[in-house]
Amino acid sequence: MPHPLRDRYCIVGVGETEYSQHSGRSTRAMAVEAVKKAMDDAGLTPKDVDGLLSYHMGDSTPSTAVASDLGIRPNFFMDVSGGGSSTEALIGLAMGAIEVGMCHTVAIYRSMNGYSQVRIGGTGVRAAAPLSGSALLTRPYGLISPLQQFAFAFTRHMMEYGTTNEQLAMVKVVHSRHASANPKAFKKNPVSVEDVLNSRWIVKPVAHLLDCCLETDNATCIIVTSAERARTLRQRPIYIMAVQGRGTRPFPDNPWAEAPITRIGGTYIAPRIFELAGVGPEDVDITGCYDAFTFTVVLQFEAYGFCKVGEGGHYVSSGIIALGGKRPNNTSGGHLCEGYTHGMNMVIENVRQLRGQADDYCPGWREGRHTYHYGPGGCRQVKDPEIAMNMGWGTPGYGSALILRR
Amino acid sequence: MPTYEYRGLVLHLPELDQEHWGYFEAARRHQLVVKRCLDCNLLRWEPGPSCPFCASLRWEWAPVSGKGEIYSYQIVYHSVHPGFRDWVPYPIVLVELDEQRGIPTPGYGLRIAANLVDAQFRPEREERVAIGARVQVVFMDLPNGLTLPQFALSGEPPRGRVWRHAG
Ligand SMILES: [Zn+2]
Repeated sequence: MPHPLRDRYCIVGVGETEYSQHSGRSTRAMAVEAVKKAMDDAGLTPKDVDGLLSYHMGDSTPSTAVASDLGIRPNFFMDVSGGGSSTEALIGLAMGAIEVGMCHTVAIYRSMNGYSQVRIGGTGVRAAAPLSGSALLTRPYGLISPLQQFAFAFTRHMMEYGTTNEQLAMVKVVHSRHASANPKAFKKNPVSVEDVLNSRWIVKPVAHLLDCCLETDNATCIIVTSAERARTLRQRPIYIMAVQGRGTRPFPDNPWAEAPITRIGGTYIAPRIFELAGVGPEDVDITGCYDAFTFTVVLQFEAYGFCKVGEGGHYVSSGIIALGGKRPNNTSGGHLCEGYTHGMNMVIENVRQLRGQADDYCPGWREGRHTYHYGPGGCRQVKDPEIAMNMGWGTPGYGSALILRR
Repeated sequence: MPTYEYRGLVLHLPELDQEHWGYFEAARRHQLVVKRCLDCNLLRWEPGPSCPFCASLRWEWAPVSGKGEIYSYQIVYHSVHPGFRDWVPYPIVLVELDEQRGIPTPGYGLRIAANLVDAQFRPEREERVAIGARVQVVFMDLPNGLTLPQFALSGEPPRGRVWRHAG
């Protein structure tokens, strides 16, 4: 018997601001623009939206401010602490809030001046803050940035499975080609394996500069409502088959305790999410995999069973994840090339892909006339994808997942 | 409330921080300690207030040998924090202590992150950093009264596989 919540909720609107490194305005102004665009996309007015959810790590703007600015009268709102595993988690929370009757239509947004103001990487404001608690056990050793926190797991993966820098570079190569066909992408230049390997080391042996995602200023928004309501709105409803927010491995905040440390939260989420959705990895047409670093993609494909453990390096360099391949990943260019909104932009991309609305350089894309010729500056719409999966990354310790269908 | 400065970082260590106070107190005496559960007797890292194996709230600080091997490593070439820029490239190692390997579950271990340093407490040379290399704890006394546990190569023969990145 299918899970009772399968296909009962839909994503009905998506919107975002420009991806830049110089927004020149407040996170509040960007949040409001993203929510407004998502409402317009869905054909909703502020009086049709009565729930607001957001998450923050570093900077943000509270949902009460967004409600005030847009004239939304929320019946339910919440701003949670969190980063890359929050998008999927809040989609699940929105479904729950609607299910118990607290509200009926929820806008989920993330707004961040992630380059010009509060950089995730630990520089600026974050670097100057006094240290206490468990940070005393890492930061005095110069172990500060997210990449450094993940690097022990990545190095072990190289040692245990022979994953190479060339294989990792292919993630960037593929995503950069996807971004070259995305008018919104902040970095549109296609790069080669040599470009990645010739970029400077950030943390050796696991990441050169081009293995690391962008830091950008932007806001993004996703609107969730019931399937009944969705069917009356402007866009084709995109059904939520299953969502799992923030599943963890044992000792989620001490990811070094248990071996193999290359086992991530997704390992534990995978059987649950596929059972809830009633499909398996082989049924998924497109993926949106959290690419904070090229290595996070490798670990997640293994964890969710798209390939065997240890074969992630081969998977990402086999052509499968490229446009025109069997299961394209991050067709917008993802965090590596489109921009960084802490997980949300890849969900937005998959919604548009399922609608057949990926914006690209095809002359007739607005009317759905795509060429399906996947060269630089060409098409990036996948032909008739039916099922999409997003994988959100918190740390190796925890993550989130979402399976959508058209 | 003691506050220390190190490489431009401000470290707060209040006495009520029972997760870390005793650890740094022991380091000042050049002793490496971890927490031991007083109910199931298992050691744990990191030093939280409860036993992750039996949820007991009763614990004590327990000395350990400070010997172990490098379980994983990273060489930092780009320091996001300006205080470490004169140190790059510097190694950070994840050391698996000899105590309690594979207990209570296969693969579990007491693993501590620190820098791998030479006899002058400078970053160890990259080509000497390898998974499987034997190490021992050393104590880096800072002029301001803080002591940071660090690790150095012990010169013991490796017990298992040794691996380093070919690059
Ligand atoms: Zn215990």
